[in-house]
Amino acid sequence: MSSIAGAGISHETDVRSWKREPIKPGKSDDQLEAALTERFGLTRDAKDRWNLTLVLAAGKAKAQLHEVVQFLRDSPDLRFDMLLDLASIDYLSYPNHRGPRFAIVYLFKSLVFRHRLKLKVEIDEDDAEVPSIHDLYRIADWTEREVFDQMGIVFSGHPNLKRILNHHEFVGHPLRKDYPCQKRQKLSINDPMVDQLEARLKHYGYQVVESGEVHLGAPIAAKHQSVAEQGPVDDQKKANAHGAVGAGGV
Amino acid sequence: MTFKPTPATVTPEVSLGDSFITTRVDAVVNWGRRNSLWPFPFGTACCGIEFMGVVSSVFDISRFGAELVRFSPRQADLIIIAGTITYKQAPVLRRIYEQMCEPKWVISAGACATSGGFYDCYCTVPGIDEIIPVDIYIAGCPPRPEAFLEGIVQLQNKIARESMREQKAVGA
Repeated sequence: MSSIAGAGISHETDVRSWKREPIKPGKSDDQLEAALTERFGLTRDAKDRWNLTLVLAAGKAKAQLHEVVQFLRDSPDLRFDMLLDLASIDYLSYPNHRGPRFAIVYLFKSLVFRHRLKLKVEIDEDDAEVPSIHDLYRIADWTEREVFDQMGIVFSGHPNLKRILNHHEFVGHPLRKDYPCQKRQKLSINDPMVDQLEARLKHYGYQVVESGEVHLGAPIAAKHQSVAEQGPVDDQKKANAHGAVGAGGV
Repeated sequence: MTFKPTPATVTPEVSLGDSFITTRVDAVVNWGRRNSLWPFPFGTACCGIEFMGVVSSVFDISRFGAELVRFSPRQADLIIIAGTITYKQAPVLRRIYEQMCEPKWVISAGACATSGGFYDCYCTVPGIDEIIPVDIYIAGCPPRPEAFLEGIVQLQNKIARESMREQKAVGA
């Protein structure tokens, strides 16, 4: 296929000017705890080590999680502008565990203050659903998909919640403790991921005229996907919309 | 000058001397096939890095006539699977194998491609012979370049025993 890069794409409109701020003294764990626990009804995990771990109890996540995370990101005293990771835990076979079966741990870091925070969200097995925070942190898009894929926790509001590591014919969620670890599942045909391709082309200002699968090795004429030029919708995308792209070529 | 016919007692072979030998078609064809293998490296892990060492000058796979590495399966007759294969990759591997022209041979290089290695889990294929037929298995994690060369030589010996009349197994 013709390269997208050859279509005169300019990224200048997407990149904001950024200047490194000087590092300022951050808050200690106790100060963070004092600032957050009462405001949102969080509790401090008694077993936390190295960093403060605040627990959002089961049942409160649906109403509060998005609000809490937005406060962590936007509050001028906190400014947790980096989501380091997002991990899920299955406590099914955890010794001496009481409480909900699942938990998700969000790891936050502030690049300005250099303080860190772990936010643990408890999740009931019956109602394994939390709001997505992909609109606050773009990296949450893929990490939430990974948690959904491996652990089966649903993120409501996610734009594209489908499997990311396992193949699309996989049944079950392999990192759950009740999934037999060595149970293998065969894949008959690959996911051509045309939806991802089309979304990317649309992002760059193209319009998908005719949709179809891109088959590696199959006759191109039989399964041809043509993506034609879209008229410039606004001035920003005018520079992006150059000639047509045939996406069926191999 | 008059033409003198060859005496009837002298056979044509004798008159041609050392410039003529008799052999079988299989022997000639297999000689050509086994000494001009064109490998396609399907490298997915550290075994693929080791294969680079095999191709480069120190170990030099060209001593065995297999130095012309092709990155299109349509131009290759030997596919070397060097690395871990997951179930998500398996249809891709199958399709690449089917794109190769006959005759074709498969080398499974290393523990992962041969048996799944230590990835005894839900996502890894426990040996690529679930997916495609394999001619030669090379042990090692990853195999030393000498082991790779041993595998190439073993495959050459195997090709020498083949016959054009036998139809090789074709995946259904």
